[in-house]
Amino acid sequence: MSTRLREAAIRHLRALGTTTPGGSVRRLTMDIKVDGQIEMVSLSLRDGEVQCVSSDGHNDGRHVVAALEFVAGLTQRDDSLPPGTEESTGWRSLKAPQQSDLADALDELLTAVTRVGIDKARYAPSVDAALECVVEVAAEPTPPGLGRFIGRLRQEVLSGQPRRAARILEGAARLAEALRVETPTDASEQRVRAWLGTRPGSVPEIELLHDRTMIEVAREWLPGSKRASVERRYLIDLTAGAIYREDRPDQAAASLGPCPRQIHVGLAEVEPGPAPQRIRVLQYEVRPEVPAESWSRLYQVARRSFAQLTETYRREVQAYPTLAEPFALIAPYRIELNDGFVAIDSEGHQLALERTERRGSVLAFYDLLNQGLEPAWLAGRLTDFGTNLCISPFAFATRNHDYTRL
Amino acid sequence: MTHEPEPNWIALEHFLREGIANTQYADPREELGCAPDAEDREVARELVRSAATYDIEEIGTESLNPEAMRHPSVRPPPEGAADPSFLGRLSASGTGDISVEQIDDVPTILAVLRAGSRKQRRAALVRLGERLHERPAIPGEAVRAATQTIAELRDVEIGYELARLRTELPGAPGRKARNEDERWKRLAAETKEAIRRFWDGQSSVEPIHVLPGDDRALLLMRTPDLAPMVLNHINAIIEGNDGCVPRESRVGLLASLQHATDRRLVPALVAVIESARGELLAEAARALGGIDDPRAHPTLVERFERSIVSEERVALAGALGMHGDCRGLPEVRSLLQQEQPSSILDALEAMESLGSSENSELVVRFVDHADIAIAVQAVRTLARISDGRVLDALSDRYSTTTVPALRAAIEDALSAIAARMELRGEEVAEIDWSEVGNKPAPPEGSRDSLPAIVFGWRDYFMGRVWLLLGRVNWAVARFESAARRRAGWVAPLIGMGMAFARGEQYALALPAFRRAIELDRPRIERNPILVRAMAKSFLHRAEQVEREGRNDIARGLVGEMLTFDLRRAPGTVRFELKRKHDVLRKEEEDDVHSAA
Repeated sequence: MSTRLREAAIRHLRALGTTTPGGSVRRLTMDIKVDGQIEMVSLSLRDGEVQCVSSDGHNDGRHVVAALEFVAGLTQRDDSLPPGTEESTGWRSLKAPQQSDLADALDELLTAVTRVGIDKARYAPSVDAALECVVEVAAEPTPPGLGRFIGRLRQEVLSGQPRRAARILEGAARLAEALRVETPTDASEQRVRAWLGTRPGSVPEIELLHDRTMIEVAREWLPGSKRASVERRYLIDLTAGAIYREDRPDQAAASLGPCPRQIHVGLAEVEPGPAPQRIRVLQYEVRPEVPAESWSRLYQVARRSFAQLTETYRREVQAYPTLAEPFALIAPYRIELNDGFVAIDSEGHQLALERTERRGSVLAFYDLLNQGLEPAWLAGRLTDFGTNLCISPFAFATRNHDYTRL
Repeated sequence: MTHEPEPNWIALEHFLREGIANTQYADPREELGCAPDAEDREVARELVRSAATYDIEEIGTESLNPEAMRHPSVRPPPEGAADPSFLGRLSASGTGDISVEQIDDVPTILAVLRAGSRKQRRAALVRLGERLHERPAIPGEAVRAATQTIAELRDVEIGYELARLRTELPGAPGRKARNEDERWKRLAAETKEAIRRFWDGQSSVEPIHVLPGDDRALLLMRTPDLAPMVLNHINAIIEGNDGCVPRESRVGLLASLQHATDRRLVPALVAVIESARGELLAEAARALGGIDDPRAHPTLVERFERSIVSEERVALAGALGMHGDCRGLPEVRSLLQQEQPSSILDALEAMESLGSSENSELVVRFVDHADIAIAVQAVRTLARISDGRVLDALSDRYSTTTVPALRAAIEDALSAIAARMELRGEEVAEIDWSEVGNKPAPPEGSRDSLPAIVFGWRDYFMGRVWLLLGRVNWAVARFESAARRRAGWVAPLIGMGMAFARGEQYALALPAFRRAIELDRPRIERNPILVRAMAKSFLHRAEQVEREGRNDIARGLVGEMLTFDLRRAPGTVRFELKRKHDVLRKEEEDDVHSAA
């Protein structure tokens, strides 16, 4: 393989005569020519693993291999052997014995919390010790799914919500079962992947998206193993209204731009897993001003039936009791503001506001409603209070497309 | 292990709450259908499985619970609840028993404008504007007093409201404000276009980051008038999602937003407070403290309760104070009592919103501080606390100091305290300025010979002519010649400084202004055009040397300028000088700490 680019780079670097010791490469995008065909290949480092994709949609094609050879510098060596099956760093410290250790640690945590009860768990040293044990056993850095579990559990223990805490612990118990299973099934593999990332040797199921227009309607910081570990952005595909989450761990890179923004996604990967599905935007263009027709389209794809919304929510939470954090864009048929905000659909089903989380945003939302603003659509995270489906408001817009981020 | 088909939910919730170790109410093994000798681990697994299954199946099965609909009623405590006086009970939002909106008496509104809290002053300014629209109904003298106050007020904290109201004034102040308004519109339009190019990839330079300091301050002073796209871009920088602005510039941008009132900034500020640390968090807290929004108080409280860094806690305490929550007062008091050099300035600033007359004795000690920045901040804090007992201490300090900035701050403080005493119904202390402080020495009579005067005037006149013709170098040579002929004559030096300032040759303007200041400081400080040109020259030169990495020199320049009486300089320039001074000062402290 020709390495003229590398040689030219070395010459240029020598001419510059400077170095940047603190720099680290997070992502490379390059044009690779193989047999006269040029494809754009993107290599990025995520959670210690290299993710490869080329613009022909392959992640193991000839262009990707050529790019990997270039980066690995194999073409310069006499003993240029193909790269071996190197295990990802996320899993390096989590081989079979450690998997069972993690399963045991999760069981220990479940037992510790249920033994003392949710009301006292926040003061219980045994619960703290069990949580520390989970973090210690897991790979470093803490995988995002596991981190989010820790963040959510701490939050629910602090707020003293037994129902939600039970649901979060149920998800952890299912992970423990999946880690112990001797013959992994598709379901168990998918669960493990959602929590801990891709297992070495397994092929991640990734859906590739091309040429989509999306609008980011909201973003928030979420706690993980540390407070404010992940910035989550909510992107809505204008084609069919699919909602994706783009997670940006603290200090890590993700797509750039303000909120709201319209992005034209040239290439993106979508991971199957808990709702909303995680997206990794690889090639994109940002438009900081969302055009009126895009806002209109967003209104068209908003959910209108709250019965269907409830059913979807139930299904998603059943599948991933811990990690599912469904987000929705709703267009209420009408709104009532007597004792509090209630959105009503055309069939008379109601949706209330979640008032225990994001209290300030709820108050701000009420202030704006009292000023006479009428939301045409409302975007927010779905949750449940008692037996009712609720929405925690993140953003809304009026029929004139006046967008407000809460 | 056998499973019961229908576990009792009340029992499940009880076990979840109280724990499976607590068997007083019922036996969890029996309720959950586990074997009597089942291990806790099995019982726990069965408990969460049953609870989660039941809970998820129940979602949406009942009609809406009224409890879930109820309006959340927890609001931050009302501002100034502790102060029972008229000013303490005066509501800015129209919700209290006495509201600024209800005041019709123009002198009272003017007194609130001088002595009220930031929210009260904003409300007072809006009310004053409303009253001026009802002009036939109010006496001419009151109209004149109001117009004069609006034209002369130099309060950067309410700069946005002030700028808007000034555009409605008649005469020169109105024209000046409308010109400024046009300048802002041009700047906003150019910035919007630059932002579009930035995100389109046509430009790799972030447009707000590269603006000169005073232009950035001018642009950001009027955030409510900015287009949504510009505001969203600012939010992206604040949140660190622009991809190129360094952390120090994010801190600088947040500091520039300290007096912004736009609610559209709140989500980004909340995100920074939730996720950032140190200086970034402190500046975001100061900005959020000034915005009247229900999201601000819960965010500040939550962060204050979990922060352990002194710098963060002081800023959060001050921001909470702006929302009427004084939970951080003991800590700020304690820092002032300990007199730790690194935290005095921040603590005094926080005391502006937290302090009451009980704290004036503690604050007044810093009026004599050797560091002028600390002394000036102490005077500002005393002006906000407005305790009549410090009048003597301030008058004494006025007499002993020769630093114009401190004297100017004391003059403003004395006026604010007098206004507050008036509003409280106390005996108003009449301040006899002829007795306060040392009077400026009368200018010495000219000792120049007649030929020196004549030739001096000739050179000066020729310099003006060359300037008109655009020959700056020749003009400067003539001005130098005139200055040489008459050693005590300030006009050629001013001409030289102004010529260099107009030509953006700030490094050359500085020595000319310095020589002019040595000869006749009051003349420059009292002339708005001269003081603006001088302040801008120092500011821009400081920015130039800062870009070259010579922060110590930049800090020296800004610090030197801040010792002058800058009350007649534009608010944006004063604000930017102070902001830059704070940033450079903190950088120096960080360097000292890291070196240690």
